[in-house]
Amino acid sequence: MLFDLLFKKTKPTEAELSAEGGHGCGSGSCGCKKPQAATTAEPDGYEAKFAKRMDRRAAFRQMTAGLLAGAGMVQSSCSVTAGDEKREEGQLKWDEYFKKNYRLMTDGEKSKTVERLERLYEINTGKTINVGTDGAVENVLYGYAFNISKCQGYMDCVNACVKENNQDRDSEMQYIRIHEMKNGQLNFEGADDSYFHEVPAEGHFYVGTQCYHCENPPCVKVCPVGATWKEDDGIVVVDYDWCIGCRYCMAACPYDGRRFNWSTPTVPEEEVNHTQHYLGNRLRSKGVMEKCTFCIQRSRSGKNPACVEACPTGARTFGNLLDPNSEIRWVLANKKVFRMKEDLGTEPKFWYYMD
Amino acid sequence: MKLSTLIGCSVLIAALAGGNCAPHHGEEEEQGHGEHLLEQLKHSGHDSLRYAFSRFDQVDSAKLVRISGVAASTEAFLVPARLGEMKMFPCSNCHRQPLETLQQGSATSGKKSHWDIELAHAPATTMQCATCHTPDDMNLLHSLTGSPIEFNHSYQLCGQCHATQFKDWQGGAHGKQVGGWAPPRVSQTCTGCHNPHKPAFEKRLPSRLNTEMLKVK
Repeated sequence: MLFDLLFKKTKPTEAELSAEGGHGCGSGSCGCKKPQAATTAEPDGYEAKFAKRMDRRAAFRQMTAGLLAGAGMVQSSCSVTAGDEKREEGQLKWDEYFKKNYRLMTDGEKSKTVERLERLYEINTGKTINVGTDGAVENVLYGYAFNISKCQGYMDCVNACVKENNQDRDSEMQYIRIHEMKNGQLNFEGADDSYFHEVPAEGHFYVGTQCYHCENPPCVKVCPVGATWKEDDGIVVVDYDWCIGCRYCMAACPYDGRRFNWSTPTVPEEEVNHTQHYLGNRLRSKGVMEKCTFCIQRSRSGKNPACVEACPTGARTFGNLLDPNSEIRWVLANKKVFRMKEDLGTEPKFWYYMD
Repeated sequence: MKLSTLIGCSVLIAALAGGNCAPHHGEEEEQGHGEHLLEQLKHSGHDSLRYAFSRFDQVDSAKLVRISGVAASTEAFLVPARLGEMKMFPCSNCHRQPLETLQQGSATSGKKSHWDIELAHAPATTMQCATCHTPDDMNLLHSLTGSPIEFNHSYQLCGQCHATQFKDWQGGAHGKQVGGWAPPRVSQTCTGCHNPHKPAFEKRLPSRLNTEMLKVK
C-alpha cells in the first residue's frame, strides 16, 4: 500500500481531470473538451507511463517501482519455459499494472484495459466476460426511495445484490443491511441486524441501508489517491485498480456504506455474473474497497438495480431525479420523506418514507 | 378574408381530430394496441428528457395495457395485461349454465372446480365472490355499482376500497416498477403482487442470513 502510494498511485489534479478525457460531461455533445473516438495508436499501460518526458528523479522513481512490482510479472512474461498463455498473461498483467486512473483514461485506453481484463479472465477460466465502460447518461441524476412501511425483512434484495455484483462468498460480503427495529424506535443501536426468524416479526419494522450516493460524499473527500469519486449521474464509484486499500473512506462514511476485501474475494465461476462494468461489478482483488453502485452495469441502460427488481413488496423505488414525471419525484413530492443524519450535510440521494 | 376562413377551418378540424382520439382511448383499448400506446407515451410528458438509450424497444407492448379510469392528473403508464395470462379464460367455457346449476352439480358429484381458492380478503359481511365477479357474465368483473370492469383493469376494482393505496400506486409510492426506471413507465398491477383472494403477504423465513450473525458466531 505504502509502495503504491509513493511510487504509482497519486491523486489526479483538477488540471489533469479537465484536460484528459475520462470524466466530463459524459456525452461529448455539450462542447466541453473531450477527446473524441478511440485513437488506437496512442501509448497505453507501461508505454504511457514511460514514453513521456520526465526529470531524472521521476524517472528513477518510476523505474524502481517498475522493477519491484514487475519482477514477478517480467519473469513469467519473458520466461522461455512458460507457455504462450502464461507469457501473454504476464504481459497483460504488466500492462495492467501501469494503467492510469480510470478518470484520466481516454476512450482508447478504456477499451484497451477492458480488452486486457476480458482476456485475462478468458485465460484463467476459459469463459468470456463483458466489461462495460458506459458513461453517465445525460440528463440523469439517480435517486432512491425506501418505504419502511412496506419492507418485511425477507432479504430477497440482499440475495439478488450479492449475485448481481459478484460479492465475495467466503466473507459473505453484503452491500445491503436490513435492520429489524421495534415499532416506534428508529434507532440503529437498538436494532437487530442478525435476525433469523419468521418475518415480519410482530411489533417490528425493517430498515434497509446501503451506500446512499451522497451529493456531498465524505468518502470521496478523504481518498488520498482519488480512487473514488462521484460520477455525473450521481453514482459514487471506486476504481478498484487505483484503490490502495487505506480504508479512509470506510471511516469517513457515516452510513456504513463501504466494504473492504480483507482477503481475496472468491466467487465460484458458475455463479459469476459475466455482464460487468469497470466501475461496477467486475471482479475485485484483495485489499480494495467496494460498495453499492446502484448496479451501474444495469442502471445506465435504463434497468433497475437488482435489489429493486428482487424486492417482493415494492418497498424500493429507483429513478431519475431530473425527470419531473418519475415515480421517485412523486414520492419526494407527496410522501413524508426523511434521510439519515441530515444534519451532516452529506445530502444522501436515498430517502426513506412511510405509507 | 379567405385566409382567415382557412385558418378557422383548420383550427376546427384540429380540434375535432384531437377530441376524437384522446378521451375514449381507455375504453376501446384492447391487447395488441400496444405499439400505438407506446408511440403515444413516447411523446407525452417526457419530451424534455432524452436518453442515449431507449427502453421502448425492450418492452413487449403486446403484453401491456395502458391504465384507464384513474385520476386525470396521473401520467399515463402501462401495466401487464391479465387476459392472455389466465389459463382457463374465457370463463364462459365452463360457466355456460347459471351458477346455481353448476353448484348443485358439484354438490352431487363431489367435484369442486375452484377448490384451491380460499377467500381471506375481508369479512363475509363486506365481501363475497360476487362482490367482484359477475355471476351472469364470468368473463367480467364489476364495480360496486355494477358497471363492468375487464380483468386487465382490475385495479379499478381494488381502488374502490383501497383509495389511499390506489393514489400511491398511481403516483409510484405503492407497487412495483417493472423492467426499469426509464420510460415507458410499467408498473405491476395490484394482482401482480397480491393474491386478490388472500391479499396479505405471508410470514416466512428470510431468504438468507444477515452477515452480522455469522460474525457474532
